[in-house]
Amino acid sequence: MKLSFILNGATVRLDAEPDRRAVDLLREELGALDVKEGCGTGECGACSVLVDGVQKLSCLMLAAQLEGRTVVTAAGLGTAEKPHPVQRAFAEHGAVQCGFCTPGMAVAAAGLLAENPAPAREDIRRAVSGNLCRCTGYVKIIDAVEAAARELAARKGKTEDAR
Amino acid sequence: MPKRHAPSLPPSPPRADALAKALGAERYAFDARPEGCLWAGAFRPGALFGPEGGMAHGRVRGVDTTAALAVPGVLRVLTAADVPGANLQGIVHKDQPVLCGEVLRHAGDPVALVLAESPEALRAGLAALRADIEPLPGVFDPEEALKKGAPQVHAGRKGGNLLLGAVIEKGDARAALKSVPVLVRGEFSTPVQEHAFLETPCGVAQLLPDGALQMTVSTQSPFRDRFEIGHALGLNPFKIRVRAPHLGGGFGGKDGATVQCLLGLAALKAGGRPVRMVWDREESILAGYKRHAVRLRYALGAERDGTLVALSCRVVFDTGAYAHLGSEVMELSMEHAAGPYRIPHVRVVGRCVYTNNPIAGAFRGFGVAQVSPAFESLMDELAEKLGLDPLALRRKNALRHGDENCSGVRLTGSAQLTDCLDAVAAHPLWTTREAWRAGAPAFTRRGVGLAAVFNGMGYGRGLADMAIAKLELTEAGGFLVYNGVPDMGQGNSSAFALLASQELNQPPSAIGLVQPDTEQCLPSGSSSAGRTTYTYGNALLKACAAMRVKLLSRAAMALFCDNLEGMELLPGMVRHRPTGKSLPLAAMAGFLSRDDRVCVAEALMPVAQNPPDTGKSFFIGFPHLLFAYAAHLARIEVDELTGRVRVCDYLAVTDGGRVLHRQGFDQQAQGGVAQGLGYALLEDFRLAEGRILTGDLSTYLIPTALDLPDIASEAVEGCEETGPHGLKGVGEVGLNGPAPAVGAALYEATGARLRDLPFTPERVLTALRKKPRRRRT
Amino acid sequence: MNVLTPRELPELFAALAAPGARVLAGGTDLLVRLRADLRQGRKVPSSLVRLDGLEELCGVAREPDGALRLGAATTHAGLLAHPLVRVELPVLAAALADLGSPPIRNMGTLGGNLCTASPAGDTLPPLMVLGASVELASAAGVRRMALADFITGPGRTRLAPGEIVTAVLAPSAREFAVRHFEKVGRRSALAVAVVSLAALLRLDARGKAVEARLAWGSVGPTVWRCPEAEAALLGQRPTLTALKRAAAVVRARVQPIDDLRASAAYRSEVAGNLLLRLAAL
Ligand SMILES: Cc1cc2nc3c(=O)[nH]c(=O)nc-3n(C[C@H](O)[C@H](O)[C@H](O)COP(=O)(O)OP(=O)(O)OC[C@H]3O[C@@H](n4cnc5c(N)ncnc54)[C@H](O)[C@@H]3O)c2cc1C
Ligand code: FES
Ligand code: FES
Repeated sequence: MKLSFILNGATVRLDAEPDRRAVDLLREELGALDVKEGCGTGECGACSVLVDGVQKLSCLMLAAQLEGRTVVTAAGLGTAEKPHPVQRAFAEHGAVQCGFCTPGMAVAAAGLLAENPAPAREDIRRAVSGNLCRCTGYVKIIDAVEAAARELAARKGKTEDAR
Repeated sequence: MPKRHAPSLPPSPPRADALAKALGAERYAFDARPEGCLWAGAFRPGALFGPEGGMAHGRVRGVDTTAALAVPGVLRVLTAADVPGANLQGIVHKDQPVLCGEVLRHAGDPVALVLAESPEALRAGLAALRADIEPLPGVFDPEEALKKGAPQVHAGRKGGNLLLGAVIEKGDARAALKSVPVLVRGEFSTPVQEHAFLETPCGVAQLLPDGALQMTVSTQSPFRDRFEIGHALGLNPFKIRVRAPHLGGGFGGKDGATVQCLLGLAALKAGGRPVRMVWDREESILAGYKRHAVRLRYALGAERDGTLVALSCRVVFDTGAYAHLGSEVMELSMEHAAGPYRIPHVRVVGRCVYTNNPIAGAFRGFGVAQVSPAFESLMDELAEKLGLDPLALRRKNALRHGDENCSGVRLTGSAQLTDCLDAVAAHPLWTTREAWRAGAPAFTRRGVGLAAVFNGMGYGRGLADMAIAKLELTEAGGFLVYNGVPDMGQGNSSAFALLASQELNQPPSAIGLVQPDTEQCLPSGSSSAGRTTYTYGNALLKACAAMRVKLLSRAAMALFCDNLEGMELLPGMVRHRPTGKSLPLAAMAGFLSRDDRVCVAEALMPVAQNPPDTGKSFFIGFPHLLFAYAAHLARIEVDELTGRVRVCDYLAVTDGGRVLHRQGFDQQAQGGVAQGLGYALLEDFRLAEGRILTGDLSTYLIPTALDLPDIASEAVEGCEETGPHGLKGVGEVGLNGPAPAVGAALYEATGARLRDLPFTPERVLTALRKKPRRRRT
Repeated sequence: MNVLTPRELPELFAALAAPGARVLAGGTDLLVRLRADLRQGRKVPSSLVRLDGLEELCGVAREPDGALRLGAATTHAGLLAHPLVRVELPVLAAALADLGSPPIRNMGTLGGNLCTASPAGDTLPPLMVLGASVELASAAGVRRMALADFITGPGRTRLAPGEIVTAVLAPSAREFAVRHFEKVGRRSALAVAVVSLAALLRLDARGKAVEARLAWGSVGPTVWRCPEAEAALLGQRPTLTALKRAAAVVRARVQPIDDLRASAAYRSEVAGNLLLRLAAL
């Protein structure tokens, strides 16, 4: 099928098998290697992407389900020059060890903060509870999301002051 | 009071790899996908018959490849007959076929390898393969396997199913145990544990026109892999190049060949095209290495004042179908069997046994995680029997610098377990425990438990624990560290970059890293055994020192200074302070030859001098000299209605020598504890006649963010004289504490000592039923 | 497999009429199963017919009789976010809040949970005590039936070929003073229920139960009810003593099985024990 959707801000158009798994389409056809796969059965969250702003699992989605959507992967959240506050906080607060869960984790965290800018620690735990991390014990991940929330609030405060 | 790091310490600089990983920019072996590559996959018929069927032991009568070869896109189907070389892999003992041609010894054994144009064709090809396998009676219990007439896992093997029997002995434990005033004993068991790293084993390989085989793999041991692959496939190991980019987790499960030999075989038959192999989660659980399940029988004797006198311990290890690292892991178990305590009379007997279960191997806490629940449980029981405070009993017997440990080794290294225990004793989580316990809500019981643990570092005697660091001044005037030990997520490569930046007085941005590549880097051993940062770090310090001297002297020449006095290495330049003359590093790089821009240095971990006269059956590994120590505390809540356990608070106080990077230190402690809590409470690897019942992540459960508390990590300030800037390896010790700490807390909450891991709700509820009334303390 | 995205019901029914066509909602059950089928070389559907192109299958509305109409293709997260669900169907909301994980809740749908008809399906016990019914539609027309009739066994429903669930109709639980749901899993997220209990008690002015509705998940081939235990609670205040008596009835009657996650003995005991929690509410 002819498929068109927005991936990390850019419109992509391609011919794809409608039943291709979204994770394969993103990784193999579109080079979005930041999207990982840890299980293929919805259990680990490594393949998480934001679809229209909502965290979904690209291993349990088919190409056809991306049609017309806006997809954001970890690489679309920020860049080395301008990382997303979540990404910067992950790096600074030691939330990254092997890093294989990290793109999916960052996507989950960014999704949370877009919806709930001031989450409690317990809210953060719940929000990332679909993303397994075998390295960190999650403590620093939760620290990082808290820090990112603070930074976002500070930024917002600044822009409001400027007005 | 131990000196502790003030919380006001400036935050550690972020790890060099962290931001790239958070941006999704880091490339793993999983992400290697060369143009035009083929896909390879193994056919493992023992697992194919669904959860009800399946087979862990059988004679391979034939493989029918016709239907598979007819699948469009399937290029080749290889069987044992196609394997050149010994067709045997293994790290120490080579007993595991790359492809099984005669016997299937566990449910995950492969009998064929499919090469296909696409993952879809590969999947269809694998599904179309048929094997004719005659079932053989299997043996699934290590003690059964030792009985006369038990099915033989390796028919005709001298020694039968006993891979190794060993003794570590000091004094006369048998006699001493007969006369001790107080004796406690118990039988324990610990289960298989799955590594469940997020990145499953994977890699790409290609045969180059000149006959060289090159490979990018998710591996902890690239240098050793060459020999394992070379032996299995009949190749010259020096014509094999292995690269190990950042790993998506390893924890021991990628120490030794996973995909390597299969992938090498595929590449040999791929007509020069690159080949990619990725195990999916199910295959990773089926075919990957696991933590050994162990059965333990203990007796511990003491004086009435709590002084430990004698310990006897028997362990039976289930190594599964192949030796892999069975003997080596058992060695660590036995060496740690008596806990971090001074005990004059010790006798530890171990038997490591083949069965038709999945292959066991290295896992963080390598053998030590299996014994710590037992020795700590007995310490608690002893404390109770003697009416002593459990913390005080441990403190009284804790090993200190200069003591002789239980295998008879004099501890010449740093040993600050007592400081760890003191830190726990002073911590509010411990001092407020009575009040906390009393505040349990309805249907809830609370308990607080502690554990003292340790973990040896390095390979032990008999195998040089060496690393070779290579450092290059680049043409641009920066530096490249050629890392020889894979970074499986513990951050060793970042630590190396940080060390180099400090030693060479250069900004972090001036230090680049080359990740392990057998062609560019130098053999530095595996990423394991808490040795990575210690050994390579020491080598790198030497290389940095040599580089410094080199740069100063070359600059002195160019700046017409006749000695090195007053010469200093500054960011981006060398300066002669007295004259103010300076030379940019980039300029120096321009006139130095490549050879002269490189410094190489090696380091060797010290081993015990005058090793005790025991543990003779261990070819390598016995004994260890240096240990990391820790004291852990767990506060838990038990739900009386369901037996579910919630860990409310956790504290790990670790003696890792000097702390160079506080964040990295805490990462290791928290990560180890997290895996240890999974081991203690959740991870229930289930087998039936060798078939894995928990074959995916919906049945093999590891902790989610909602299952773990905020794990607090503290450090005692110490210094290991032989370590790089005083550091010891802390990668493993954290895993050993949670099971005993939670076990102790459970006893306080339920009045029952649980001796079989994991402490499932079902076991806890059963314990509650037997001890219905709340224990008063 | 072809993947079709109908925009209207007739189009959907036409697509489902094709041989080998299968409904695809959130895919969290179906795609996991298809992956296993592909690995084993088993047959897979010829086409998947998506539900998310049809707006009338999504959302929450009030029916004329006061019940809530929950669109079958509404995601668990969508239901949870809806104030009517949280206020009037708190037992269901509690089950949804613990179902799977955040992304599973963002993808999985109520209709999918019902049609999977797993003994461990988390929405089933709450919907049973609520007395919910399902609305089914096919080219032949629309029909309604009680959820209890719709689910006939593990993985089995009364869904006719070419038929879909369009909505779940759930009466409000507002007049029940005690509204409780608890799932016992092996961990706190991403956990299949080992035992679950949904309970509704209507109390009179003196706090005595005039109606008790109890339903358990994961203790039988499908949701398990225990009229004897419900009867044991009638006329009683939900005190520990009264609940213990009912729990004994439960333990004596329930007939769970052993599986990987727990033994039958554990399930029986906990099925009874969970009632005691009502005393602490
Ligand atoms: C990691 C993970 C965790 C999970 N945890 C839980 C859990 O805790 N509790 C729980 O109950 N479930 C759990 N599930 C199962 C699953 O998520 C739920 O059952 C979910 O509600 C299924 O909905 P779906 O929309 O994804 O269904 P789909 O997968 O799209 O469909 C499931 C089946 O129902 C059919 N179907 C779907 N909708 C309709 C309809 N409207 N009419 C007719 N047929 C239909 C499909 O054809 C298919 O056969 C989990 C699944 C995963 C992968
Ligand atoms: S890969 Fe999608 S959830 Fe694990
Ligand atoms: S950092 Fe390794 S899995 Fe999370």
